Amino acid sequence: MNAPSTKRSMRIMISTGHLGTAPSNPESFYAGIATQPDYLVADGGSSDPGPVYLGENKNLGLFIRDELELFLTAARARNIPLIIGSAGDTGSDFGVDDTIRHMREIADQHRIPRFKIGYFYSEVSKNLLIGKLDAGARLSGLGGFSDLTREELERATRVVAVAGVDPFIRLLDMGADVIIGGRSGDVAFTAAPCIRAGYPMALAYHMGKMIECASLVAEPFMGKETIIGTITDDEILITPYHPDQRVTVAPAAAHSMYEREDPHFEHALGGLLDMRECVYEQFDDRTCRITGAKWVPDRQLRAKLEGARKVGERYMGVVGIRDPFIVRNVDAAIAWSRSAVAKRFGNMRYELHFHVFGRDAILKEREPERTGPGHEVAIVVEGLADSDVDAHRLTDFAVRMFFLARVPGSKGSSGLAATTKETMRSSPGYVWNVNHTVPVDNPMELFSVHMTEAGV
Amino acid sequence: MARLSDLAKTIRSKNAGVNQVTFDIIFPDAETYRRTLASGAITRETVARLFRIADDRISHFVTFAPANAIKFTLYRSQPSGSPGDWDILGCQQYGPLIDLEIP
Repeated sequence: MNAPSTKRSMRIMISTGHLGTAPSNPESFYAGIATQPDYLVADGGSSDPGPVYLGENKNLGLFIRDELELFLTAARARNIPLIIGSAGDTGSDFGVDDTIRHMREIADQHRIPRFKIGYFYSEVSKNLLIGKLDAGARLSGLGGFSDLTREELERATRVVAVAGVDPFIRLLDMGADVIIGGRSGDVAFTAAPCIRAGYPMALAYHMGKMIECASLVAEPFMGKETIIGTITDDEILITPYHPDQRVTVAPAAAHSMYEREDPHFEHALGGLLDMRECVYEQFDDRTCRITGAKWVPDRQLRAKLEGARKVGERYMGVVGIRDPFIVRNVDAAIAWSRSAVAKRFGNMRYELHFHVFGRDAILKEREPERTGPGHEVAIVVEGLADSDVDAHRLTDFAVRMFFLARVPGSKGSSGLAATTKETMRSSPGYVWNVNHTVPVDNPMELFSVHMTEAGV
Repeated sequence: MARLSDLAKTIRSKNAGVNQVTFDIIFPDAETYRRTLASGAITRETVARLFRIADDRISHFVTFAPANAIKFTLYRSQPSGSPGDWDILGCQQYGPLIDLEIP
């Protein structure tokens, strides 16, 4: 067996599982970066926060600038390449452009010497996909979705494809110092430099999987702390940089199944990571050693697509109920509001949802606790309509109808609900309507790469 | 009789893609993991009953010995973040598991 010091290795550092939601903690970040890792990487986003951000071209994180400033200044000062995937939360073209704008401003502000920014876009035109459908391609549904029809595709506001390692590798080949990626797989931005350097693909993808959420792979639970993954030709090593964290065998194995429906497999554009034979061992008191992943290339390449469709403008109001009789008969009060709205707004398109906090707002029909709510409940009324004015009127009316509810048997005659707060404007409502895969001829087909410069 | 929260180290739920929520029950050691499995309290059938769903709403039910974990994945009734959904991340869906009784 070779001594570790004689093996070739590559070290990849990550300090956040979702760039910009809260700042990375600087202590472990600087402890990690001082060891001169080969790359600094960050996941800019995911589909997790829901379809509104993709639909509205909007950022979720309020600390994007803070994190980018930390990453860019530290990486450029040490000449460490910086790779960001799924820029701007959703990986839309807006997200990529907005991240580049931040980079330019930070570079000017800190007078960072000129450097190359490589970037790629992940948005896919609906016409391109319609062309594929017309040519007979099947857009297969994921996660219980049925296959995508032309009609449903046309209703999407925006569609992005999820990139694999290839656009990142291409941009590194082109000499990028910083890469801002459009929507990309969680494992891609870590796997790409490893694969480019000739390390085994299975280990490269598995390392991407293990470090994608930074310190969530380690114990005890801490977010936004630094982790460094080390790849060699026969293993990966995962090491935390917060002094109180450790990466031990069972939690590391458990992390490989985090946010995935199956603990044994992970799909990426290009193939399947098979983790069934993986072995997790303690390497030192803080580091876990992992071997045994396999990579099974796909015969037909398929890219994942994500798309959001707008449902309407949205308002929300909060109703409080304390009368025990109304609490017990809350469904009757809801039925009253619902039917009053139907009578008043029946000639327009709308959606109305009642979230009964204190009963089943979070699990809805899956809530097993059916013994009845406590002594008071809150109902959040969520109303959507095509126009802002209609959504406001609809939702406010539905809220008032609780005050005016006619529930047989009630003793109250001065208002059956506490409704003192103004009905509030919310984001427009969207649904994920594209969660499908599309056949592609090559892994670059849907992703265009570009190069620019920033700094002084 | 113990409650699941007395036996497990981690009980969590989280989105697995936009239309599924996955549940991880992770035990501190292999013995507790095996004992809980052997109790028969956590199976496809008991999960379906607890969450009041049909069996075909369970997309995966997996036991995962390397992590001393039981993992199952449910289809959502609508994709995450749709109007009407209050748990966009799926991260509070594990609630009913906490007090589950394990014989």
